[in-house]
Amino acid sequence: MSALLSRLLQFLLTVWAATVVVFALMQVLPGNAAQVAAGLQATPEDVARIEAEFGLDRPLPVQYLDWVGGMLRGDFGTSYVTHVPISPLIADSVQVTLILVLASMAVALLIAVPVGSTAALLRGRAAGAVLSGLSQVGVAVPNFLAAILLVMVFSLGLGWFPSSGWQAPIEGFGGFLSHLVLPVLALALVQAAILTRYVRSAVLEVLREDYLRTARAKGRTAAGALAVHGLRNAAIPVITVAGVQLATLLVGAVVIEQVFVLPGIGSELIRAVQNRDLLTVQGIVMVLVLMVLVLNLVIDLLYTVLDPRVRSRS
Amino acid sequence: MSRPILLTAALAAVGLLAAGCSAGSGSTGGSGGGETRTDIVIAHTAEPTNLDFTTTSGAAIPQALMENVYESLVRIDQSGEVQPALAKSWELSDDRLTYTFLLDENATFSTGDPVTAEDVKFSYERVVSDDWTNALSAKMDIIETIETPDEHTVEITLERPSNGWLFELASLVGAVFSPDGVGDLANEAVGSGPYTVEKFTRGQEIVFAKRDDYAGAAPGTLDEVTFRYFGDAVAAANALKSGQVDVIGSLQAPELTAEFEADDTKQVIEGTTNGEVLLSMNNAEGVFSDQRVREAVLHGIDEQAVLDTAWGGKGTLIGGMVPPTDPYYEDLTDVWPTDVERAKELIAEAGVEGESISFTVPSLPYAQASAEIVAAQLGEIGLNAEIETQEFPAVWIEQTMTEKDYDMSVVNHAEARDLLTVFGEGYYTGYDTSRIADTALAADQGSEEEYVEGMKEVARTITEDAAAGFLFLFPNLIVADAAVTGLPENAVSDAFAISGLGWSEG
Amino acid sequence: MSAPRSAVEALPDPVAPAAPGPASPTASRRSRRADLTLVTGAVLVGLVVVLALVSFVWTPYDYAAPDPAARLQGVSAAHPFGTDRYGRDTLTWIMMGARITLLVGLIAVVIALVVGVPLGVLAGMTRIRWLSGLVMRGSDVLLAFPALLLAIVFSAVFGPGTVPAMCALGIAAIPAFARVARSGTLQIMSREFIAAARTANRSPWAIAVTHVLPNIGGLVVVQASVAFALSVLAEAGLSFLGLGTQPPTPSWGRMLQESQQYLGTAPELAIFPGVFIAVAVLGFNLLGDGLRDRLDPTLRGRE
Repeated sequence: MSALLSRLLQFLLTVWAATVVVFALMQVLPGNAAQVAAGLQATPEDVARIEAEFGLDRPLPVQYLDWVGGMLRGDFGTSYVTHVPISPLIADSVQVTLILVLASMAVALLIAVPVGSTAALLRGRAAGAVLSGLSQVGVAVPNFLAAILLVMVFSLGLGWFPSSGWQAPIEGFGGFLSHLVLPVLALALVQAAILTRYVRSAVLEVLREDYLRTARAKGRTAAGALAVHGLRNAAIPVITVAGVQLATLLVGAVVIEQVFVLPGIGSELIRAVQNRDLLTVQGIVMVLVLMVLVLNLVIDLLYTVLDPRVRSRS
Repeated sequence: MSRPILLTAALAAVGLLAAGCSAGSGSTGGSGGGETRTDIVIAHTAEPTNLDFTTTSGAAIPQALMENVYESLVRIDQSGEVQPALAKSWELSDDRLTYTFLLDENATFSTGDPVTAEDVKFSYERVVSDDWTNALSAKMDIIETIETPDEHTVEITLERPSNGWLFELASLVGAVFSPDGVGDLANEAVGSGPYTVEKFTRGQEIVFAKRDDYAGAAPGTLDEVTFRYFGDAVAAANALKSGQVDVIGSLQAPELTAEFEADDTKQVIEGTTNGEVLLSMNNAEGVFSDQRVREAVLHGIDEQAVLDTAWGGKGTLIGGMVPPTDPYYEDLTDVWPTDVERAKELIAEAGVEGESISFTVPSLPYAQASAEIVAAQLGEIGLNAEIETQEFPAVWIEQTMTEKDYDMSVVNHAEARDLLTVFGEGYYTGYDTSRIADTALAADQGSEEEYVEGMKEVARTITEDAAAGFLFLFPNLIVADAAVTGLPENAVSDAFAISGLGWSEG
Repeated sequence: MSAPRSAVEALPDPVAPAAPGPASPTASRRSRRADLTLVTGAVLVGLVVVLALVSFVWTPYDYAAPDPAARLQGVSAAHPFGTDRYGRDTLTWIMMGARITLLVGLIAVVIALVVGVPLGVLAGMTRIRWLSGLVMRGSDVLLAFPALLLAIVFSAVFGPGTVPAMCALGIAAIPAFARVARSGTLQIMSREFIAAARTANRSPWAIAVTHVLPNIGGLVVVQASVAFALSVLAEAGLSFLGLGTQPPTPSWGRMLQESQQYLGTAPELAIFPGVFIAVAVLGFNLLGDGLRDRLDPTLRGRE
């Protein structure tokens, strides 16, 4: 129990440190935020007005506390550039990215588990080597390249799916799915290649365990033994890796969001960066960082539950 | 679970995804089906951050809202002429100071209220108040008084005669608002135009719905028009190819036109814009304060080659700051013929062989493409142009435009009739405005004929002073489903007018 | 061996997991496989390195000299990889692009290594609990900033470019190096010769330099290879977004991005940069895997 508490405390400390880092990074930015927001014909009075309106003339610690306090209440402030409240924008775009990333991970696992297990079982044979080789190549393909190719084949060539865009599920589930297929595949194929290699290692590891050898000695085939006894054990590292990869995907999806013109949080981040919309950048970065930290916490807790070695220690 | 089962499960899941979708995808062009479509989807590049151009600058908001949702008293037609809009006619007094506009008495706001002279007065007084922070509002500073003798008559008196003002009035500064409709401009647009904003999804699309109660001059034909925003030209082109959009309002990847031209189901329209792609040089400071060096650059550059490589040969060479749709256009391409030998001589005369120049380039496709080829051509005449890419808008506007920390840059000046701004006092070109100021003022105050002649002289002086290079006039490349009709060929005003759009029968 | 402290730490690095040597094949066969991987990786990486090195003394054409007459020529004897919209030779650009690819990877890895390894060793060797705690918590905070996110933020703060990109990628990779170095160090510290050195009153510096660093060197090299591959991918992605290397500097990611509008008419413009990005990433990944398998005995000891 105390271990859990200390892990939680650690988590909160890390989150706090991250807010300081994010806030500090934004202060390094060249140029005055109000000047940037006021645009090019702005007079000094315009700049001063914006500074006053958004409280940029206050001391930094006050601004920091105000920002953090706002976030605790779920309020990320109002953009100086677009005059739009930031919280709803983040809420909407996070949904898109989460759907994209979770669906991709699910599809990636659906591909990686069978392929990786097969590669492990066929180890030493030509087919196994081919599968391993394919996964190596898959890891090396940038996901935006995969995206471009998928669009060429399945959208422009075959006309099966739209080439870009997003439709919310409530506006029609069919349209929602059809817009989702290509971006999900673009992310999932490359993820699957990464995960396949972990699944393969994990399964190989399990195959060497004594109980599986016993099972095989009792006349089961390797695949049968694995299916009955092994997969659960092999699952631990794979789930852990999938969790870690999810964190990478949250941000990595930005490239795919751009190719497919999806209104995800990555697209919003790029847009905010281009507009020098600092408060929005700050808010989005903080949300992404928080999601990564939460994910890491969940993985750790899950790991403690799943792995007998760690459990027995605490 | 055994391996084959897992594999089947995986395939099934993918298959399910695939099957679920085909239902939702694919809208076919209007030409195919029996019934003519009443909706259209248009792809645009620059997306509006909100719906309020009174406080937010940029071309995206007026492009969507002017003429469609908001109307001014006048508008600019496809050949660049001023035409009636909310005002069905107008008269100019003999002293050229007072315009008397007669309003269209059938005009109503989307709230149902009639458009009255009071609304016009309210709107134009608001432009010069603190409520408008868009810098363009300065165009209305010239107004001295606004009178409303009756409900449908507006008399606007200027401080001094101005030929340019009526034209400016057609832009966003002339938009007429309802006094009840300015509470939440960023999200709610209440205007007198043929369409209303039905739905605005920031960063994605604007859906316009036709107003059935519109009784003005330009009623809409299609019931629903959608502007969908694509930051990336290739994504927009893909969307057109796969039938998700029907029109690309302005194709930003000219190399793609060849593919569409070869496709019978698509039409490619090449019109003009007000956008002069300017090779700006810092006249005020550094190596280009020497006119000989600027002349050398203009002799050294082969504009046709720049256009061919950078923008697929789409565009027009104009040699000056005035597009052919303006009344005072004149072909100035022969002022500085490409002459590398002469350029080298001038460079030698000025003693700047091998000089390094800071070439700040905004991160925009046409600018980066033009800059690479220009830099190579300058290398031929002995100038070493060091390209520095600056993020547009943020960095370029700060460093090049505001701080004027540059020798050379390249950017599309897209505003209408902007030569006096671009070569005006304090602007980043650093041009010596005393060369044109008197002529320009006299032209603005003179008769229409004097205006045209005077402005021609101004434009010619600017070109002859080698104040900047004029690479090409930016093309308006529209690509659309072949059945779409009524597309605005030239982008000569703020607006992308949608009221004339339709589908051809059969 | 000590059980992993957290899930993340227990993992092999996320991208290039070892193919653990199983019990069945013989050791020699295993090392033959490792060699094959190693050699393939080395050859691919070597190819990229050679392209980059040769570009300093010779390229088929001048990369900065457009030739409008020769634009979009397709694959030919004069231009084996074709020419781009400016009439520039694609092979020349691939060679010049190899430089940026390697430079970004190299600088990123050096930053991560120079900062991460000493911190990791410190955390592993120190007996001051709060000090090692501080290092590891600091690395936790950094871990919350995925490489691409940090790079995007850097491009906002410092403007887009190669330098901010490689710094961001390097900083983001520090935690991985620190963790590898720490776990390697912890292992070494439990060995008897360290205890002997300590009783002999040798300074921590001396122990670190003579015993720890040489022993964790292999691990670090493997990590470096993986980080290299990641950096190459990340730089390509950033340049694709327009936030990485800026014109006129040749970069594979940007070549790929610019080639998009020619996919229908001149696909070779996309194919070559795409293939070379994949070659570089594959090369470094295989190199890492091969090295890891070579160092198998040490690695096996970790579990």
